[in-house]
Amino acid sequence: MLDRLGSGLKDALKKLAGKTVIDKVAVDELVRDLQRALLQADVNVKLVMALSQSIKKRALEEEPPKGMGVREHVLRIVYEELVSLMGQSAEVHLGPQTILMAGLQGSGKTTTTAKLARYFQRKGLRTGVICADIFRPGAYDQLLHLCRQINIPCYGEPGVTDADQIVKNGLAELAGNEVIIIDTQGRHALEDNLIDEIVRLNVISKATHRWLVIDAALGQQARDQARRFHEAISIDGVLITKMDGTAKGGGALSAVSETKSGIVFIGSGETIEDLERFDPNGFISRLLGMGDLKALVERAGEVITDEDVDVNAMLRGKFTLRDMYKQMEAVKKMGPLKQVLGMLPLGGMEIPQDAFDVTGQKMERYRFVMDSMTPAELDNPSIISGSRIHRIALGAGSTPEEVRELLKYYKKMQRALKGMRGGGGKFNMQRMMKKFGGM
Amino acid sequence: MFDSLRDRLQGVQQKLGLSIKKAEEMASEPSAPVKTPTPEKTPKKSGGKLVDKVKVFVRDRELVLTEKDIADSLEELELILLENDVALSAVDAIVGTIRHDLTGTHRKIGSSIDAVVEKTLKHALRDVLGEGFDLTGYIDSHDRPVRVLFTGVNGTGKTTTVAKVAAYLKEHGYSVVIGSGDTFRAGANEQMKTHADRVGVKVIRHQHGADPSAVLFDAVEYARAHKIDVVLADTAGRFHNRANLMNQLEKIRRVMKPDLVVYVDEAVAGNDAVIRADEFNAAVGTDAVVLTKADMDTKGGAAISIVHTIGKPIMFLGVGQGYGDIIPFSPDRIVDDLVGESG
Repeated sequence: MLDRLGSGLKDALKKLAGKTVIDKVAVDELVRDLQRALLQADVNVKLVMALSQSIKKRALEEEPPKGMGVREHVLRIVYEELVSLMGQSAEVHLGPQTILMAGLQGSGKTTTTAKLARYFQRKGLRTGVICADIFRPGAYDQLLHLCRQINIPCYGEPGVTDADQIVKNGLAELAGNEVIIIDTQGRHALEDNLIDEIVRLNVISKATHRWLVIDAALGQQARDQARRFHEAISIDGVLITKMDGTAKGGGALSAVSETKSGIVFIGSGETIEDLERFDPNGFISRLLGMGDLKALVERAGEVITDEDVDVNAMLRGKFTLRDMYKQMEAVKKMGPLKQVLGMLPLGGMEIPQDAFDVTGQKMERYRFVMDSMTPAELDNPSIISGSRIHRIALGAGSTPEEVRELLKYYKKMQRALKGMRGGGGKFNMQRMMKKFGGM
Repeated sequence: MFDSLRDRLQGVQQKLGLSIKKAEEMASEPSAPVKTPTPEKTPKKSGGKLVDKVKVFVRDRELVLTEKDIADSLEELELILLENDVALSAVDAIVGTIRHDLTGTHRKIGSSIDAVVEKTLKHALRDVLGEGFDLTGYIDSHDRPVRVLFTGVNGTGKTTTVAKVAAYLKEHGYSVVIGSGDTFRAGANEQMKTHADRVGVKVIRHQHGADPSAVLFDAVEYARAHKIDVVLADTAGRFHNRANLMNQLEKIRRVMKPDLVVYVDEAVAGNDAVIRADEFNAAVGTDAVVLTKADMDTKGGAAISIVHTIGKPIMFLGVGQGYGDIIPFSPDRIVDDLVGESG
């Protein structure tokens, strides 16, 4: 996701680690690295310049509070400045509303419309979508197809070339729904007649929200485009799409600062479920390698029910193979391991890209091995002897080595959990994650 | 496209000219008294070295530019390029070329400063932009059917580009068949069908979710059986960091054996353009590039970044929503346009 920008910033901050006094040279160097990192992430040049000026000024002028190291002091300043760059997090209000989608061609409006519909549906709201894209061939088919997958009513009039009329009819047709999302045709700021059209659609639909969809790869152009859209229909939220590629989404920051709004959601995959709530604090934490616990908790809360993992029993120190099995399943439900790990506080630890795939596969293998164990073995792993290992390996189509590896992994986890119970703080949590990484 | 870059570049050009002039003024004073008119045809004595030195020094009385003279202007150029979406690595390369070309230049006093600056800028830009790509010429010189595979990430405009290229080729008298290889995205088949009907081209398609390699293989077979000149193969958008999807693309390439792999990206993309162009090039190769959405961009930096990274020519620019809105890319014209004919 944002790992490349993250590692750029981490490098920059590492240089300050050994310093005891803030000297101008070190700060200059940090700011220069930060500038390069942000520019490479497509953040607007003017924003970067303004940001680096104020960081430089504050880092040199402000006294670090007592007990705070130089590195932490500067880190905090960088963090605060970045947070203010992101603007406020736009609130998503869960109630009756009409949302008008706007954006450039190919930014992912239609896919995101379906993802949003799914989001509101999951929150228990009756949701419908209108396809007001009268230009792109197949746009209605695409939206209809996506909506059928999730049982969402989709209104459209293929062949009709009057978007105003479609929206009017659609609003009447979908009147019983609490949330209505209007997908529109892609347009850019230089196409005046299309800008006029979206102004009209905004008036007709009396949209509660007008959200701008921005491709994470959009470059310096984001600022001008966002300004024009903002002038036309006053954008009040930005959605970043395609964050699962290598693009860093800096263009979206330009859009945010231009529209004085906030980022609402992040699209991070091709399936209809791949939509995350955006949280500016978490976003930057992730940039700076501090991990984003909040987003993880939010996601975990949605999928994991109490019966899945008995946290209390685990904290009491009773952790069996059966618990580990459940845990793995829970992790699987939360999505690809990579996404989950991206949200954990790994303390700036680097995990090689291909390690994710391997670990994911390994998890799967471990589950097969555990499927071959008897209930007694799962509840009390200490009874597993050499001959049992042999039997399990045969049953799972695996090797005795792999079974032993699994048992080793289990013991590691058990120790890690004991450690967590002991300290209870964030520190132990981090140590645990390090142990995970060592696997 | 390129409008804003052009304006800014011309500003830098003047600045560079000015700083050279300044350096020249400073340099000309001390060097002025040395004016001994040594006869040009001095008998060659101890080796050519000394003689040559004297000759050059006297005859041309030139000015050597140092890095310091142009540092400010170059820094400004760097920012301008960045603001215009040229990726950082490409910026470094361009500014590096200019610095290298200009510092230590032995410039004759009297020759036009503007001309020197213009030449250097043009050289640096043409260096990164490379040659254009003549599609019709390529088709003429290869066995029919010529198979063209379109690749790229999601939402860059592959499907629309395929339709436009089909229209372009049809207009130039070639017969075309389209393979609808995007079997993943909902509605992609319908989109391609509508486009093809409007352009008046046959499209080969399977169901949603079918194996794209099979679809495109069928398209090639169809072209072979019906003696059609060109097969245009559309594919689903995919991210370069998805190993499975890239493997699928590799399989497509193996099965349909394209003559040309065309990478499609949008002109508005920022720094990521470089990363993904590179990854696609590494995975399935790229023979030419099409830049879409060039009409929404007055900057045009992505063109420079992509070509610089993979060193492959740009074939077309997509400049609008109509089928005719596609223009062959000519680097010379763009460089002249950017830097200005007269300087």
